[in-house]
Amino acid sequence: MNAIEIRNLSKSFRGLHAVDGLNMTVPVGSIYGFIGENGSGKSTTEKLICGHLVPSGGSIRLFGKSYKDAGVRVRVGALIENTGCFPNSSVWDNLMMQAINLGITNRQEEIDKVLKIVRMEDSARMKFKKCSLGMKQRIGIAMALLGDPALLILDEPINGLDTDGMRIMREILVDITENYGCTVLISSHILGELEKIATHYGIIRQGKMVQELSAKEMEGRCRSYTSLKTGDMQAAERVLRARYADVRREEGFLRVYDVEDTEGIVGHLLQNGHAVSEIQKNRIGLEEYYIELMSGRGA
Amino acid sequence: MSTEIKFKSPGFFERLKGMLGVDFYRLFHTPMFYIFLGIAAVIPALILGTQGTDGASILYTNTWQIIAADTPLYAVSSIAEYANMNMVFIFGGIMVSIFIGHDYKSGYVKQLFTTHSKKKDYMMSKSLVCAFAMACMCITYTIGATGAGLVAGTSFAVNAGSLLIAIVSKMILSLGWASLYTFLNVIFRRYFGISIVSSFLIGTGLPILAVGMILGNASGSVLNLFLYGASVFACLSANPVTLLVCTAVSVIWAVIYNTAGSIVLARSDVY
Repeated sequence: MNAIEIRNLSKSFRGLHAVDGLNMTVPVGSIYGFIGENGSGKSTTEKLICGHLVPSGGSIRLFGKSYKDAGVRVRVGALIENTGCFPNSSVWDNLMMQAINLGITNRQEEIDKVLKIVRMEDSARMKFKKCSLGMKQRIGIAMALLGDPALLILDEPINGLDTDGMRIMREILVDITENYGCTVLISSHILGELEKIATHYGIIRQGKMVQELSAKEMEGRCRSYTSLKTGDMQAAERVLRARYADVRREEGFLRVYDVEDTEGIVGHLLQNGHAVSEIQKNRIGLEEYYIELMSGRGA
Repeated sequence: MSTEIKFKSPGFFERLKGMLGVDFYRLFHTPMFYIFLGIAAVIPALILGTQGTDGASILYTNTWQIIAADTPLYAVSSIAEYANMNMVFIFGGIMVSIFIGHDYKSGYVKQLFTTHSKKKDYMMSKSLVCAFAMACMCITYTIGATGAGLVAGTSFAVNAGSLLIAIVSKMILSLGWASLYTFLNVIFRRYFGISIVSSFLIGTGLPILAVGMILGNASGSVLNLFLYGASVFACLSANPVTLLVCTAVSVIWAVIYNTAGSIVLARSDVY
């Protein structure tokens, strides 16, 4: 069973297609990294899944049921654009209101539990407006976690967070997936962070799904390369091209792709009279893969 | 939280209970409600308590005239014939606008609709909670008027049954008014300012007043079908029929506005 199954989903705003025939499959228990440039339709898709927007066409199924099914919806938590908290109310009051809405009986316990998960136990009585951005994001996660959610939808939850904030958020997300069996759909521009936690990826462009793949598949597709510098880059490039299939000059370096034998590269250059002044072994990460895919070069 | 995924659909009453719980919690935990209760108490006290000062004319000879006119006056000729408990519905409109406006401004409405809450639950809950708030304002208005009457020394002579029916009728009409304002605020949910202005203008009963001015007080039987007309009908000469008319008008308009609001919400984006 998939947590989210979207088929041919469309949404237009005054004739402009924000989401255009989108297909998407999010497996149960996964952390699904939803990637795309600004305006690609990520947030619109998330809002459609959450029922905030009315689709122009297509279907959305959550855990095999219609996305409108109240039984499924009561197990969906979301943090989209902002936390949806009343600024003049305390963190506690905001959580209490959501707990009441969800019909939670042991409210106090449940609120304590989610506050502990997001490490906000000491700030429960603070007014929401007095909280820092990082705290607000964590409160948003806490709100979404109330009511034993089976699916969490998070739109850019790490935006604007400092390094420590990002680390905490990362740990929280891994914790709730591993320990509470929650499926997480998360969109983010910070691909380096996403790469650390995502088990699946969906790449969207102009409202259409360009590619969906698991982290394992991504691993397989990500290429390694050796970057190096020599005194005569042009001549060295000619020498390398004669022996290796994919040699490029990028960002002031000569890059030899998909060759694990770095010693062999250096040796070959030395044999041809080119001393290597700088050398680095790299691997194309999610970010580079995404850039390549978007530019039409990769995958 | 557990690892096993179970889905149990909450029924209508369960959902409504949750939504009502949130709205009542918010109502009782925000100062706005108490401020409006205070305003409802102070307004009659100010009007009644300050009349006749500085040589101005006496507007009310009887304390209860600040609650309602002696007879239904659809075509008013002075401020005294207009300024009575029906003003609660004007303040109430502003309160509903702020209450619902905050749902949208804070983004809380997203939290509601992400979960199991349906659009009709939202309409019903807001209408019921705001009706309760307005009914409470009717009570504080009555208390304020009574206190001011005692201080000003105006007469308290009245048919107690009619007075009680008039007050209860107005409290019941709060449901219709609250539904109307909820509907207006749902329509103008993206424009907070327009929501407040529209609620205020409708609350003043200007359209009905205009018809009343043209057709005169004889047009009452038709105007009573509308919320403002029925509110005027609930006067100091009220009888059980008044109560029945006001209840019917309130419930019918509440159903109409709730249905219309639910349809609008269901067919359009949340924000």
